[in-house]
Amino acid sequence: MPHQIGVTIRAPVAADRVAELRQWLAEAGKTGLGDAPFGFAGCRGVHFARFYLLEETADLAGRPIPASLVFMSEVDAPLRRHLAELAGVAREGIDQAFQHCTGYPGPGRGRRQRIAWLRRHRVRASAFYVNTVGRGVAQIRQEAELREALEDYLDRQDHIGRTAAEVRRELQDYVAGRADLAWAAKPPAPPSLLFRAREAVHMVAVPAVLLLSLPVLLPILLVWAVLLRIDERRDRPFTQRPARRHLEEVAGYEDFSTQNPFAVAGFVRPGRLRQLTFRAVLFLTDYGVRHIFNHDSLAGVKTIHFARWVPLDGWRRMTFASNYDGAVEAYNDDFINLIWWGLNATFSNGMDYPPTRWLFFGGAKLEEQFKNTIRCHQVAVPAWYAAYPELSADNIENNAQIRAGLRGEMGPAQAEHWLSLL
Amino acid sequence: MAAKLDLDDIQGLIARGYRNLPHARFTIFAAHDAAAGRALLSWLLPRVTPAGRFAGTSALHLAYTAAGLRRLGLAESVITGFAAQFIEGMTGPNRSRFLGDVGESDPRYWAWGGPQHPPVDGLILLYANSPEVLDARQAELATHLDGLAVRQVTVLDTLELGNNEPFGFHDGISQPVIQGLSKATGAARAGTPGGRVVPAGEFVLGYPNAYGQLTSRPLLQAADDPRRLLPRDPGGSGAADPGRNGCYLVMRQLEQDVDGFWRYAGHATRRPDGSDDPGARTALAAKMVGRWPSGAPLVETPDRDDPRLGDDNDFGYHRADPLGLACPAGAHIRRVNPRDSLDPRPGTEASLAVNDGHRLLRRGRSYGPGDGAPTTAGNGNHAERTAQGDVAPSRETGLHFICLVASLARQFEFVQHTWLNNPTFHGLYDDTDPLIGSRHLRGATFTVPARPARRRYRDLPQFVRTRGGAYFFLPGISALRYLEQLPAGVPAASLSPAMTR
Repeated sequence: MPHQIGVTIRAPVAADRVAELRQWLAEAGKTGLGDAPFGFAGCRGVHFARFYLLEETADLAGRPIPASLVFMSEVDAPLRRHLAELAGVAREGIDQAFQHCTGYPGPGRGRRQRIAWLRRHRVRASAFYVNTVGRGVAQIRQEAELREALEDYLDRQDHIGRTAAEVRRELQDYVAGRADLAWAAKPPAPPSLLFRAREAVHMVAVPAVLLLSLPVLLPILLVWAVLLRIDERRDRPFTQRPARRHLEEVAGYEDFSTQNPFAVAGFVRPGRLRQLTFRAVLFLTDYGVRHIFNHDSLAGVKTIHFARWVPLDGWRRMTFASNYDGAVEAYNDDFINLIWWGLNATFSNGMDYPPTRWLFFGGAKLEEQFKNTIRCHQVAVPAWYAAYPELSADNIENNAQIRAGLRGEMGPAQAEHWLSLL
Repeated sequence: MAAKLDLDDIQGLIARGYRNLPHARFTIFAAHDAAAGRALLSWLLPRVTPAGRFAGTSALHLAYTAAGLRRLGLAESVITGFAAQFIEGMTGPNRSRFLGDVGESDPRYWAWGGPQHPPVDGLILLYANSPEVLDARQAELATHLDGLAVRQVTVLDTLELGNNEPFGFHDGISQPVIQGLSKATGAARAGTPGGRVVPAGEFVLGYPNAYGQLTSRPLLQAADDPRRLLPRDPGGSGAADPGRNGCYLVMRQLEQDVDGFWRYAGHATRRPDGSDDPGARTALAAKMVGRWPSGAPLVETPDRDDPRLGDDNDFGYHRADPLGLACPAGAHIRRVNPRDSLDPRPGTEASLAVNDGHRLLRRGRSYGPGDGAPTTAGNGNHAERTAQGDVAPSRETGLHFICLVASLARQFEFVQHTWLNNPTFHGLYDDTDPLIGSRHLRGATFTVPARPARRRYRDLPQFVRTRGGAYFFLPGISALRYLEQLPAGVPAASLSPAMTR
């Protein structure tokens, strides 16, 4: 199975075409990105895709930043194939979107120029969270079908008076007898050897280097902590509330299925201290999501399929985007109750965040300030594609466990537990 | 952190559900202009019942929509300090989608409060110890409303308060216990999921909530309250605090298809020979509810009803029934109040603490055939008679659902969306609340865990539909006094909304 990649493509929008683009985005969202002119449903390995507009603004020093169009996709490797599909199957849609941007290779230009342009406008994420690394779209869809087949089979049978082991054996036989489910007998293949080797090296190398540099790092850390605390004491509560029109716009694209897209954008606090802190925290976040939180949960939050932290405009700005289950209120509650520390460490380096203490404390725990700053900085996602919109991350993990439980020997208690997954 | 509750300023409905005043009638009104609205408020004000000691034979409460507050002359700059959902109202397209008010529950089909109806200003809740007292007070109210040119948009009758809701189940057993009220003293047994004492700020604005913070509400410059009618911001800003001692009141008229519910349960549990199995029918209905008709929780008595446990509220789920073999994870009461089954660390204090942030103080009353008719005794037998098939199809039956909360988003709307109508709640795939959930697009499955394997009920009909509703604010009595003397057309300058501290 492939590993997953987060693709971000961002390009400035021609000043006179922003209004037109806004309208196009709304229309594209209504039509959906699954079918023509994008056809993401027919592309291989696209989990999610989205477009959103970052409006024209000025940075903290007053320098103008033009409006830009952001495309994001969460796809199975390889990147090469995805870019080829963007310039191939999805070409018409991609053309329609990016022709609002300056310098997009217009009609008459070939596939190669398009791919080169997309590559040039690719922005790298500092960290990319994948709910379960290596679980591709094909696997997710197959395992959902497997579960449905087993559920339907159970619906048709009367199993009263039988043991769990007997019912499990029957289900195993049923799957074995269906040629279209033959794949379920084997475990899913892991990501490529190259990918695994690279990750293994990274997993060991980062702590090794940090450990070796500890004698140098420790005094720096102490000074940093003091400076940070002094900086934090200047924090003011975030008193703004989201404007009604903004709320209506953002909410207008939410809660149509089990899953939702989420995007925020904001400025990074000025000054070297915060810039460095931000980069260091994201470096550690990258490590955490790659090697610690890479299966089923982001530090206890089990509702996130993908998430990414993307610095913009030379680290002056930042966008965070995710695909998650449920409503934004519940999402925020999870942030506050479960991963407040992570949110604080990252986003307190951005403007308008509720005051923190020692980087990790306070902040998100100030419930309403936190929810208000999230809503105020949320960016509407008018056009969004989800390959399996009705499956929660929890469902997907459960489906994988159902498949895994088809193999091997089980005692009575294990068989009972496995049957409870259905 | 517990602050002393100002019981003389808080409306009594927050402190009690008036079990001793079993007759109730709710009047939804709209005033023609500010003068009429204010005249009504002046007449009602001395009649509003505070939360302090109560020994009367009737009680009256008063709540306003955002439109009603505007009508009284409250400036837009102040109104923007209230919750966004309150200002938007219950029927905006985003709200309807979120609340599951779609399909046959679409506000377009509502009996009141829908977009096709005139806007609602407020709600008068009357409670009495006898039908005669209720009728007399209602007649007095109606006369005044007529005289003041205030329209009665609708008058909602209720059934005499019995133990059971219209489906036939003992209802209203589990209520959050509010810190600072006398009930809290006895209920504070640590660690029992049923006896949780919840910080007052979860239900009354101006007191610390479950996060130890003050939920935002509008604040006024002290100069805008020269007569010092309003309490001052307990956060210490010196601002006048019109939200303090008030709360949001959610009202929804929920029609219950009692016949359909029991017919479905009967049909789904027929014996192989096609004959009825009354025991299985009741057992399936109980699985949907999570309690037996007597109220006995399935977690405590999974196989048969035990009326001795009818008021039992002292249980959790995680240790007793992690897989839902007694009480399915999708059962109504396990959804609206999952107790200790939530992440992180189910079965622990941390789980209960998360649950505390999503509690509702319920004050609903049933309605149906016999409501407003003084001689009808209770509603408990309707469901059973329906199940036995000896009740002819009757006029609408249901619940005038009312709940009181400090946060519409984190409490009422969260429970409605994330727990009730969420097809993937607690690892499920296509199950909304079997009793009251929406089946508009998905959610028509009910999964009953069992050994060796679960049983799935498919194509569940929708048993409840929304027939009306609105978001109200139930102000403190001093805030009502402030509203009464507002000069028409003079805008008050508000501060930024109170921030949590």
